[in-house]
Amino acid sequence: MFLAPSALARLIASELRADRAEVVEARRLPGGAVREHWLVVAEICGGACAGRHRLVLRSDGQTPLGFGLDLVQEFALLRTVHGAGIPAPEPLLCCGDAAIIGKPFHLTRWVAGEADAERIVAAGPNDALAAQLGRALAAVHAIRPPRLDLSFLGAPPVDPAMALLAEYRRRLDAIGEKRPVAEWGLRWLARNLPAPAAPVLCHGDFRTGNYLVADGALAAILDWEFAGWGDPDSDLGWFCSRCWRFSELEREAGGIASRTALYGGYETEAGRRLDPRRLRFWEVMAALKWLVVALLQRDRFLKQGERSLDLALTGRRAAECEFELLRLTAGEPETRE
Amino acid sequence: MIDDPPSAAELLALVRAAWERDFASLPAEQRQQQAALIVRCLAIGERTLRSAGSAAVIEHGLAQHFGMTAPEQRLERLAAAIRAGAYDRPGPAREGILRLLWAITLRKLALSNPAFTVGIGEGRG
Repeated sequence: MFLAPSALARLIASELRADRAEVVEARRLPGGAVREHWLVVAEICGGACAGRHRLVLRSDGQTPLGFGLDLVQEFALLRTVHGAGIPAPEPLLCCGDAAIIGKPFHLTRWVAGEADAERIVAAGPNDALAAQLGRALAAVHAIRPPRLDLSFLGAPPVDPAMALLAEYRRRLDAIGEKRPVAEWGLRWLARNLPAPAAPVLCHGDFRTGNYLVADGALAAILDWEFAGWGDPDSDLGWFCSRCWRFSELEREAGGIASRTALYGGYETEAGRRLDPRRLRFWEVMAALKWLVVALLQRDRFLKQGERSLDLALTGRRAAECEFELLRLTAGEPETRE
Repeated sequence: MIDDPPSAAELLALVRAAWERDFASLPAEQRQQQAALIVRCLAIGERTLRSAGSAAVIEHGLAQHFGMTAPEQRLERLAAAIRAGAYDRPGPAREGILRLLWAITLRKLALSNPAFTVGIGEGRG
């Protein structure tokens, strides 16, 4: 990506109805396996937004993952969730013109806080944060179809679990490797499908590492590119998946707290009791989903030539997902080998 | 081959390229992240070298169930049998296949991330 500060400054001034703007700093931020992030500090003169602003520019990575929302759709989704009072970055402008930075991007207002999962987990158990996350997630799930402003999400699935299972099977078949443990997981899921849930807006990647924490409290939920209509329990299963507890496996809610804290916050806001059997199904589905994503990420290195250590190593994480598939569906191994 | 790609050799080649290309010129924070990834790649390479030959037990188990075909074909047959429901019912066949699936998975993790299995198989829930 190239960043043309003057072109970006003109766009900011135009979109935010300012007299003029100047980009005084632009710095690539670490992290982001699928998308790139830049901190942009803009000095805006005139208009309602006059002053110095810290913004986040978000654009596609070097090679796309092949699914999820595009940047324009993600921007529209952010408008909806931010407008609903859900803690998310405030969307400011979206640009599909490749002349500015070489590819489409959007700008949101900077939110201060820590997003690094290892550091969040290392800060110690935090039941209050988990309860806050539960309440925020329930607020996301309160957004239900039909919604004209979210028409780009397509028709909600009649049976979200069955639809996802079919999609992951198709993607695994397309990847073309014979993975017996993945087949074992697919088989278990097909034989244990829950009754269809009424679709709601799901974040799709709700986990530690995709939210900001400031002073121990939730500041914003990030990374909405996998949002869509689905089963609300899918987000909870993903959050509690062992793969997203980092170094704190005993803290089953995202490495930060007990499940009780997360579920309590969620149930209070959502006004419904969670069913442990459904949550277990979605935790197995989470392991399968992460397996598919890990293989797709790896193939950006193996098949698309993106020379990234991170992507290459993500392929080696597939075994962690398969471990989870076995542990959740067949108990633990009798002996370690 | 039961081990996942990319191979240890591919990872080590990637490390060398990353080192030669731009490591020294990276900003401090990115250099720290890149160094952590390099250490992981080197560790996988080292564990792979040390474990040479240990996959033979698993290959033998697969051969017992699926004959003396090429290793890829054995995995293909196993995957197809699971998809067809051949091991849905409780019993010795299912238990045998489960042991094989665990062995394959633990072998992969022993190379890529041994810490992931800490505590498992030691009576924890």
